[in-house]
Amino acid sequence: MAEAFQVAKKQDLPPPGGYKPIPFKRIPAKSYFSGYTMFAGFIGMTIGSIYLYNITYKRILKDEIEMRSAKMAIYPALLAERDREYLKQLRRNRDAEAELMRDVPGWEVGTYYGERVYKLIPPDQLVEPIFQEYYAHSDIKEWNKRANIKLLS
Amino acid sequence: MSLSPFFRSPFTDVTGGMISHQLLGRCQKEEARYMDCLEAYGLERGKVKCAHLFGDYHECSTLTKQLKRFLAIRHERQRQISQGKLTGDEKYVSPRVDSY
Repeated sequence: MAEAFQVAKKQDLPPPGGYKPIPFKRIPAKSYFSGYTMFAGFIGMTIGSIYLYNITYKRILKDEIEMRSAKMAIYPALLAERDREYLKQLRRNRDAEAELMRDVPGWEVGTYYGERVYKLIPPDQLVEPIFQEYYAHSDIKEWNKRANIKLLS
Repeated sequence: MSLSPFFRSPFTDVTGGMISHQLLGRCQKEEARYMDCLEAYGLERGKVKCAHLFGDYHECSTLTKQLKRFLAIRHERQRQISQGKLTGDEKYVSPRVDSY
């Protein structure tokens, strides 16, 4: 207690000139656009983008038309190619069957042991084969390739 | 084999079979011929008189003979391969994938 009177006192006094005023008023955020400006900006940007979208859309329509026309143009040629290959394969199948069943007793090419598949049609009319008949002489891998074509592509 | 009930009435028509090969099916012609023959002869006599038409119609709709042909051919090929008569490139004749 006696030391307190000998050392220079250091008190917590206010700064010289007094305290500055305490800011208590609200400081709202700086608003760059008003509400009407925002709506106007939105409508303006929408109009601009609609214009640009329509330009691109017309170009895309033209491209789609061209692609569709090209596909339609080559479709008959592709179909004809496939039919030619189909008929050639039918002939190869017939020859393979004749070669294979040469020594089987009672077998005639195109029949089931002599019994014709359809009895009331002329004998040389084409009977379109089922999938198994078409692929009767084929490798299992090729069979699966065609049978599972939807799964793989 | 009965194709229709003995007495046809609205009650039996409620659960009637409405599917037919006539709607652009594969067996349109065969079914038409067989049904015409049945209509002419009736069911009892038709079983005997229309048997040839029935054979073609049955084959068209179930494709059993074509399947049996395939099974016989395949069996023979497998037999010849396992006996060693068919080897190498001659084992199989495969079609092109996009030709069927």
